[in-house]
Amino acid sequence: MPSSPLLVADGVSKSFGITRALNGASLQVRPGEVLALTGPSGSGKSTLLHCLSGILAPDSGRVSFEGRDLTAMSDRERSALRRGAFGFVFQFGQLVPELTCLENVALPLRLAGVRRSRAERRAAELLVRLEVVEVAGKRPGQASGGQGQRVAVARALVTDPQVIFADEPTGALDSRNGEQVMRLLVAAAKERGSAVVLVTHEARIASYADREVSFRDGAAVVAEGVR
Amino acid sequence: MSAAWLRELVLGVRLSVSGGRSGWLRLALIAAGVGLGVGMLLVLAAAPTAVAAREQRRADRALGASVEQAGPGTLLALTTETRFRDEPVRGRIVRPEGDRAPAPPGVARMPAVGELYVSPALAALIAGPGGEVLAQRWSAHVAGTIAPQGLSGPDEVYFYVGSGTLTTDDGAARIASFGGGSPPTTDPTIVVLAVIGAAVLLLPVLVFVTTAVRFGSESRERQLAAIRLVGADSRMTRRIATGDALIGAVLGLAVGGLVFLGLRRGVGVLLPADFSPYPSDLRPVPALLAAILLLVPAGAVLVTLSALRRVVIEPLGVVRQSGVRRRRLWWRLIPPGAGVALLYPLLGGLPGDVGAGTRVQLAAGAILLLTGVVVLLPWLVQAVVRRLGGGSVAWQLGIRRLQLDSDTAVRFVSGIAVSVAGIIAIQGLLSTSIAATSGNQPPADRLQAVVYTNGADGTGWQAALAGTPGVEAVRTSGYGYLRTDPDQPGVTVRVGDCDVLRQYAPLPSCADGDSFQAVHPGWESPTLPAGATTPVFGTDDAAPLSHWQVPAGLPAVTLYTSEAAPMSYLATPAALKLRPDLRGIFTDAYLLGLDPSRPDAIEQVRNTMTRLAPAAPLQLFGDERIGNQFAGARQVAQGCAVLFLLFIGASMLVGVTEQLRERRRLLAVLAAFGTQRRTLSASLLYQVAIPASVGLLLAVLIGSSLSAVLLAATEAPVELDWAAIAAMTATVATMVVAVTAAGLPLLFRLLKVQELRSE
Repeated sequence: MPSSPLLVADGVSKSFGITRALNGASLQVRPGEVLALTGPSGSGKSTLLHCLSGILAPDSGRVSFEGRDLTAMSDRERSALRRGAFGFVFQFGQLVPELTCLENVALPLRLAGVRRSRAERRAAELLVRLEVVEVAGKRPGQASGGQGQRVAVARALVTDPQVIFADEPTGALDSRNGEQVMRLLVAAAKERGSAVVLVTHEARIASYADREVSFRDGAAVVAEGVR
Repeated sequence: MSAAWLRELVLGVRLSVSGGRSGWLRLALIAAGVGLGVGMLLVLAAAPTAVAAREQRRADRALGASVEQAGPGTLLALTTETRFRDEPVRGRIVRPEGDRAPAPPGVARMPAVGELYVSPALAALIAGPGGEVLAQRWSAHVAGTIAPQGLSGPDEVYFYVGSGTLTTDDGAARIASFGGGSPPTTDPTIVVLAVIGAAVLLLPVLVFVTTAVRFGSESRERQLAAIRLVGADSRMTRRIATGDALIGAVLGLAVGGLVFLGLRRGVGVLLPADFSPYPSDLRPVPALLAAILLLVPAGAVLVTLSALRRVVIEPLGVVRQSGVRRRRLWWRLIPPGAGVALLYPLLGGLPGDVGAGTRVQLAAGAILLLTGVVVLLPWLVQAVVRRLGGGSVAWQLGIRRLQLDSDTAVRFVSGIAVSVAGIIAIQGLLSTSIAATSGNQPPADRLQAVVYTNGADGTGWQAALAGTPGVEAVRTSGYGYLRTDPDQPGVTVRVGDCDVLRQYAPLPSCADGDSFQAVHPGWESPTLPAGATTPVFGTDDAAPLSHWQVPAGLPAVTLYTSEAAPMSYLATPAALKLRPDLRGIFTDAYLLGLDPSRPDAIEQVRNTMTRLAPAAPLQLFGDERIGNQFAGARQVAQGCAVLFLLFIGASMLVGVTEQLRERRRLLAVLAAFGTQRRTLSASLLYQVAIPASVGLLLAVLIGSSLSAVLLAATEAPVELDWAAIAAMTATVATMVVAVTAAGLPLLFRLLKVQELRSE
């Protein structure tokens, strides 16, 4: 029997000025699944990811997480949810350049109030798991692009989130590094039972997903490729 | 210069002016920043001209050489000073002795008897509220206005009044011309203040200009990287950057010209009336103007190229090289060390007339010592933040940012640090000078004012003063001599009732019949042995008024430092067996009790005294106002301090804004995974406050050292002005919090998802 959905978007619309980015998009994310949102640039997939993660409030429609309406939550409550239940991986500029890679990974735990030593111990475990322990003491600028992205994946996983939102996580990497990041991201998420919502325009990256939803003109138009 | 060079320079200019909204904003910021700095530099460059013009007019109106014989071309002139409320009112009473007597400069014709020529500022005082009391002072009507050539500045309160009774016995000088006298020598302390003041003003402006030319440097570096991508080599890139820097500097010069024109009109507001210049006096010295016009663009190019040396601009982006470069200390000690070496020989005291060589030595020493703040601060901030760690996430984010790149923060803090160091040095010198010239003051509870006869015949003064509206009491103060040997100088005794004596020294208790031994700081008072009996002499050298047996165990009291005439004893009339009205002894002062319900009572007294003896000094007890040039200097220092801190606060805010904009994407990412606003706000505060605190510490250290050196050079007691240091610390702390708070709206706006879009 399929489990009940973890995240639900129901008729979500969002505009930026006169540009309508989302137009009544609906979808569901189930626990532990890897869902790819695909589509051309400007189709609204990143905007939906931001609405699902509570970063953006939709103009209309509803987003719920474990049955709780995100749109009804205060900014503080949504921030707390993002700290504890969600993890994020972006394409660019996501690691704090002044902190070491280890400190970057430990940052979400420290923001959640975990003691520094414990947070860094946990971060080190993840760096080992993501095969980048050699850059633990280095700053992001001293790591390669692939290593930096794996550090970002480690940071997204460090709080054992229920959902990881990955917005074009391999967009700045070559194919070999991109494949490696995706392999590690999906494997580590599966180990922890975390769902992954992945935004990509690359079919090769989307192939890592359990399910793919295509976007066009701000709405989920096709649901296909349930693997 | 080849055509290719020129083309690349022009390309830099074109890139600057065609950068769209953000490019224009950056250019506007640079032009505004450089313009503010250039405006201040032009004011400084005009200061020598303004001072020279002011001194020239003062010299032109100085009384010429005295002549013995009255003639058709001679004039009697008496220089007087009075006050109206807080304003000193200076002027001259004149009486021509013939029809060819010289008219004072700025006055259309010789004032006739009962005619008053006033400066515009005095005319405004007379026309203002309560001015009718002042109008009565000279028993004259306003017949005209003194033109600018007869005034030191537009706000000077000055007058000429015609008299029909003035004689040389009143202290008037007989002259045949105005001007031609030697310029008055300036107090060495004032010279030191002026030299250090100029240095203190100059350095932060230079720091600010070099900071301003680098506004938005990171976006420019990205732009240059894009140009590298299409084939520009590193030399071409530098020339393009030069063109970009030049256009900013040139626009800054233009804006600076406008700022200067504005400051020319407004600078007088900051200065005390005696120092305010006519706008036309403020003309930059040509050599300094040329230096500014050449050095600002050249400096902008040098700063830009020097900054580019520390980054590698690659076709695919900018690679910073300077992140963890350890700064060296040794060469940073050279400027302050050289400053100390130059100032050290002055520790023993300045010569009476501070010559050009000493001025240069002093200025160079002070500038080098203050430069120590600028060159030591980057090293010190790096050394301090390297040792910091642990703490909350906000602390960690702030500290690590500083550990990786403290350059930007230090650039903005340098301006504060130099200003604070200079202001501490000046305030220290001023406070000591003011303390030395004011000291502890007599109380004003029972008697509020004193009129000195200054050797004039005071007959009738007591009655005239007693009949002045608002005067409740007139007490006489006099002195006599205790002299046993007619060939020896006597020992002086001040005589007056207890209320009078209390105005000379704080007394433990006093009743009629009491006497006291007076101690005058810095003067060894001659005294008589206890039990000795001595005659008391007054105006008659031959006939003693009484005899006094010096009591044993007389209480010693310390005279107020404002009391210029040293005395050995204070005594009530009964103690010396003198008449209560002090008849027979020298009367040198009348002390007045004023009706507190009549605030203009003192103005009425001044009117009476102007009629009786216009040159007789009048002093208010308990008057905190410092009636000398240091008060003006303090006002200037405080005005400049406020102006500079606002100036620097604004530049720090621009810096914070720029940094936040550069980090917009990272901030949005941090917000995405739940970082709270307060964490990022605190991190921002630490990034501003830590370098500012280190800068303040260094500024206090160097400012206090400079203050100590200057005090020693002027032979004043070396004491730190902790009140000024505390005030500066509080001001800087307030500014840091204000700058952080002003940056928060932008920070919160940047914590938005739009920055996360990667498509």
